[in-house]
Amino acid sequence: MATKTTKREPQVELRKLTDDYCEFVLKGTDVSMANALRRIILVEVPTIAIELVEFEANTTVLNDEFLAHRLGLIPLVSTRVHDMKSIYEAQVGAWVARRRRHYIHPVGYHDREDKGILLVKMRRNQELKLRAVARKGTGKDHAKWMPVATCVYQFMPEITINHALMDTLTDDQKEEWCAADPRKTFRLNKLTHRVEVTNPELYQYDGEVLAKAEEMGKPGLVAIKQKQDTFIFRVEGTGVLPPQDIVLTACEVLASKIRNLDAALAEEARRFDGREEPAPMQA
Amino acid sequence: MSAGDAGLVNQKYALLPAFLQAKGLIRQHVSSFNHFIASDLLKIIKAKGNERVTCDADPNFYLRYTNIYVGRPSLEEDYIQTELTPNQCRLRDQTYSAPISVDVEYTRGKEVVIRKGKSGAGAILIGRMPIMLRSDRCVLTGKSEEELAWVGECPLDPGGYFVVKGTEKVILIQEQLSKNRIIIDTGTPALAARHSHGAVVASVTSSTHERKSKTNIVSKHNRLMLKHNAFTEDVNIVIVMRAMGVESDEEVLQLVGTEGPFASLLTPTLQHCKEEGVYTRQQALDYLAGKVKGSGRPASPAGGGGFTRRTRSRVDEARDILANVVLCHVPVVQFDYQQKVTYIAVMVRRMLYAKLDPSFIDDRDYYGNKRLELAGGLLALLFEDLFKRMNADLKRQADSSLSKANRATQFDIAKCIRTDTITFGLEHAISSGNWTIKRFRMERKGVTQVLSRLSFISAVGMMTRITSQFEKTRKVSGPRALQPSQWGMLCPADTPEGESCGLVKNLALMTHVTTDEEEAPIARLAHIMGVEPASLVNQSELRERGCALVFLNGNILGVHRRPKYFVRSFREMRRRGRVGEFVSVYMQHDTVQIASDGGRVCRPLIICDRGVPRVKDEHLQLLRMGKWNFNSFLHSGLLEYLDVNEENNSLVALYEADCGPRVTHLEIEPFTILGVVAGLIPFPHHNQSPRNTYQCAMGKQAMGNVAFNQLNRMDTLLYLLCYPQRPLLTTKTIELVGFDRLGAGQNATVAVMSYSGYDIEDAIVMNRASLDRGFGRCIVLRKYGTSLKKYANRTQDRIVLPAAAVGPASAPRPAKFRVLDRDGIAAAGEVLTQGEILVNKQMPTNTRDPVSNPAAMPDTFYRNAPVSWKGYTGGEKCVVDKVLLTSNDDCSCVVKVLVRHTRRPELGDKFSSRHGQKGVVGSIWSQSDMPFSERGLVPDLIMNPHGFPSRMTVGKMIELLGSKAAVCTGRFHYGTAFGEPAGLADKVESISQELVEAGYSYSGKDFLHSGITGEALEAHIFMGPVYYQKLKHMVLDKMHARARGPRVVLTRQPTEGRSRDGGLRLGEMERDCLIGYGASMLLLERLMISSDQFEVQVCTHCGLMGYKRHDGLAVCPLLRSPEHIASLRIPYAAKLLFQELQSMNIVPKLLLAEA
Repeated sequence: MATKTTKREPQVELRKLTDDYCEFVLKGTDVSMANALRRIILVEVPTIAIELVEFEANTTVLNDEFLAHRLGLIPLVSTRVHDMKSIYEAQVGAWVARRRRHYIHPVGYHDREDKGILLVKMRRNQELKLRAVARKGTGKDHAKWMPVATCVYQFMPEITINHALMDTLTDDQKEEWCAADPRKTFRLNKLTHRVEVTNPELYQYDGEVLAKAEEMGKPGLVAIKQKQDTFIFRVEGTGVLPPQDIVLTACEVLASKIRNLDAALAEEARRFDGREEPAPMQA
Repeated sequence: MSAGDAGLVNQKYALLPAFLQAKGLIRQHVSSFNHFIASDLLKIIKAKGNERVTCDADPNFYLRYTNIYVGRPSLEEDYIQTELTPNQCRLRDQTYSAPISVDVEYTRGKEVVIRKGKSGAGAILIGRMPIMLRSDRCVLTGKSEEELAWVGECPLDPGGYFVVKGTEKVILIQEQLSKNRIIIDTGTPALAARHSHGAVVASVTSSTHERKSKTNIVSKHNRLMLKHNAFTEDVNIVIVMRAMGVESDEEVLQLVGTEGPFASLLTPTLQHCKEEGVYTRQQALDYLAGKVKGSGRPASPAGGGGFTRRTRSRVDEARDILANVVLCHVPVVQFDYQQKVTYIAVMVRRMLYAKLDPSFIDDRDYYGNKRLELAGGLLALLFEDLFKRMNADLKRQADSSLSKANRATQFDIAKCIRTDTITFGLEHAISSGNWTIKRFRMERKGVTQVLSRLSFISAVGMMTRITSQFEKTRKVSGPRALQPSQWGMLCPADTPEGESCGLVKNLALMTHVTTDEEEAPIARLAHIMGVEPASLVNQSELRERGCALVFLNGNILGVHRRPKYFVRSFREMRRRGRVGEFVSVYMQHDTVQIASDGGRVCRPLIICDRGVPRVKDEHLQLLRMGKWNFNSFLHSGLLEYLDVNEENNSLVALYEADCGPRVTHLEIEPFTILGVVAGLIPFPHHNQSPRNTYQCAMGKQAMGNVAFNQLNRMDTLLYLLCYPQRPLLTTKTIELVGFDRLGAGQNATVAVMSYSGYDIEDAIVMNRASLDRGFGRCIVLRKYGTSLKKYANRTQDRIVLPAAAVGPASAPRPAKFRVLDRDGIAAAGEVLTQGEILVNKQMPTNTRDPVSNPAAMPDTFYRNAPVSWKGYTGGEKCVVDKVLLTSNDDCSCVVKVLVRHTRRPELGDKFSSRHGQKGVVGSIWSQSDMPFSERGLVPDLIMNPHGFPSRMTVGKMIELLGSKAAVCTGRFHYGTAFGEPAGLADKVESISQELVEAGYSYSGKDFLHSGITGEALEAHIFMGPVYYQKLKHMVLDKMHARARGPRVVLTRQPTEGRSRDGGLRLGEMERDCLIGYGASMLLLERLMISSDQFEVQVCTHCGLMGYKRHDGLAVCPLLRSPEHIASLRIPYAAKLLFQELQSMNIVPKLLLAEA
């Protein structure tokens, strides 16, 4: 794909924001940016999850490792994660002293009435006593630290209907063609007898309409392209962090990565300055 | 699911769950065992040779068995009778058995004692019978799920096995050629080659309670000869008939049949008889007497003067052999050979038929000629043998004590009955699998096997397994091939690969194996229905047109003049319930065969009248309402069981739509031709057939839940899946078997694409986040156990915690004792490291000589015999799961330690879908690197599309589609074999429809983006959930490497095998490569320096290897001087060879040359 030389001026248009869902349109940038953001959201936004479990007594049907694994996967409300330091962020030896006790509760748990997530069913006389330590971490280390259920983006489809060719079809044929798309992106306007796009975002690039057009002997009825600079982001949080928080942290992580790179480059440049001119950067 | 064309077709499936509910999943084993307990046992003790024990010394003495009882499984401990439960036996290494007791009548001195027990138990205990789980005598029978849970048993466990000494043992079903039936065969291939045509052999394996013998009639130079072990050579069949009283040739001909070319075919035989000069019965008997085997001894004892027992004359012996040995299953009452002669005539006739027309030659592999021997039958054989042995022991005791003139006390035989013979005999046979029946000189090995508890399915699959008696090395394909007559009886897919392919088979879902049924009432009924006894009919009338011989279990019953009418009305009698439901009647050639013997395979079918099925909607309605059960259908004559032979007389329609006017039966469900294990495969009818076979083998290796009581068991090795799931795409078999409650796999979202190249050659790329969330996570439980023995000198093993070293330093205990608790046994919850001791057992050093105070011996009198944990050094973190302390049958203490290890999938672990598509994990990737769809779907694993074209597993593709639709609609989809017409499997068309409604492509393909670059992938990717199984082969159990390590003592070469930390062998072929390449130094290094290099001192003069003298100088063994000694490096094995040769007086010399 030819790289566009146009200046990048990313724009964000927020479409929807709830407690655990966020949808926004990222414009004026390219795939690498969008994908970087997606990857960071998945894997590098820190949250809190149980990491260490000490069992004092466990006579339930599930064994210690099993329960520990289940405990680890409980989403914990991690709004205070920014005040915390992970083991690796802290100075060696210093993190223990810094350890503070925070009140942390699972997502969806507000008071004692809440049943919460089922960990293990216990029978009479079964015993379970444990101490669990939750820590800050990222999805890189374990999926339990992932802040989102899923985070994806969609290329905005660019649909152009060849109306001249379309008009060679009868209404029935048009209807048939519209029905070929499982997502119902197209619609026949009964008044104008024209095929319209209901909502281009519905289109899933499944190629059904293109195949249908070919089958009808009218290839080129419609041209569909992916708009390479517009992305519809959908972030479905697990509730551990508000989605806007996730996205903003991700941007921060991305920015800090770039800052690091910048600093490293500057450092490298300084080293070279002492001796010779730095070699021109390869594009 | 669409309804079928007819009303019935959609609902007749309901009969299947009713059938399985009524009969159980492994009804064959249970009903066979029940039959053994209920009727075979009594028959055995009432049999001619068994009922009475007499004594040579006292003719008035006798012991007679009047009745036999098998009680409930129970155990007497410390004089308290307690009920045994199977799980208790498993845990305590006991045998799940019940007491066998008898009622007797015997003489004590002059009086006759009659002893009868009360309330369902006999007076005298004669032994203990291992009880099959879920049989009538088992405590589990009739218990509800909750009650089963209380006794620690899984409600889904099918039973059908035994618990002997704590291990679960299955008596495998044995397949053999049917007994007491005439089989016309082409004989041995060598024989067939010699005679270009007509090398036919009629053979019968006769089997009665007392005797087994094989009788052949062969054709030699066109003469028919009897071949039998009792005779030294083959004898003319006409002479045999003469000896049985058929004196005229005409009579012989009339018996065999006068029509057509029979007379001319028999001429050479008759001629030969004449040549031998045999005309009368006496002559014939004389002739045969000369051929009797083992009659080489003189007819009368040579002199001696004293009176000895009169030896029978050889003629008597020949007569006796003809009556009791040759064709011994045909009764000869008071030397009336009438029946046997007719039988021989039938054999000859069939042979001659086959000579004229090869289509009359029987097929040995035809399944109607096979009988299956089940647990009950095998136990009956064994029990009778042991019972006879016990009686022989009793007789010996009676002989020895009654022959003494004056006894202090009166001899009471009831007090001499020992229970060990039967108890240990049965227990030992089942636990070792060696079936030794003395009276038949039968010695079979491997009859029983340990029940495989790898997965629930492997356990169930084992119960339906059939092994064949054929030896595996023979290179004939016949017995291995799938026979058309196996249709519906045996699973066409489930057989192992390799040497036992086709010899080990599995029963289909609805197959039932019959048990023996009483012959006498059937014979009586047949006579009432117009079967004229053969002895009352003129010989020539036997062969009259339209008449047919009627056989009952291979024996001639008589003649019927309207055989077709007879067969029809007999069947009607069976449908009315006047005859047992498993009795079969069928026409074979010009005979009517009635079979009521055990071991026939049969299956239920819907009866049709001129193509109209008898089962109607109203009947199914009754079934649904619970007013009817499966047996009601049988008793109302709507269904019947057909065995393989009777199937040949019927026309069975697969679907109701196929019912034409000539159709006699309708299948209940076509998918029942598959067995339990093959029933797990969705859409197997869309797969290439070997793939289904592969899956049948792999389904047994899949991890999952073993049983509901899996955590209360102490198996040596148990693999459990942490989060097993129920397949999204199920089959009816899965529901019937209970696999949906004890799954062995997980529904993984699979993307069929090539991504990275770490998925080539069947490898799988996995999503790390899925593994983090518990996909493929498993628990491995391994048992370590020991028992504390008591010895003759009253010493016994002990378990102690070694005292901490006393002394000024008071050093801590060595690290290997770290996990031990105060009782010397590892504490539950401890994390183990390599070589740590689990049970610190100590044995007394002296177990024979008397010890003064066995209870308090000093520590020095014990030596260590610890149970230590042999974990692998690969960082395996195992935990002591639990510890069991109990006592076994010998009242010795048993300690079992269960060690647990939780594993997540790693590179190289083996996974498989349900379509014989196995693969190992090739790479594990972060979720951010995995491809994703615009809906946020990320695959759990990626499979390479090259797995499809050559394997042709279309079923897997449909499974993916169906599972995807199942996820979208929230309804479990079905993929039952051949289920589309009956609505038991979803059609691809309707699945696609559902996908489109859910907004997916009809083809199941999704539009994905690369997770690495973020760009859209050019191709649409076939993606959806597929049920994946984790197989037991894991890298952790197999990985192995060594740099240095242990060596074998004898050769000083590295040890072999992972378990001994062995080296990796550079084998012959690798060696050839290096030789070919010329890498001599590498060869030297691999084969000697890294292996068993040894330095020898060789005398350059004599060429012998020297030795080190006291001053450290090497000397020549002959010259005894350190001169001329050269130092040489050779493999230790070579040095060993030289010395071994020397020990055999061969002197190898090393002739050295200047290098």
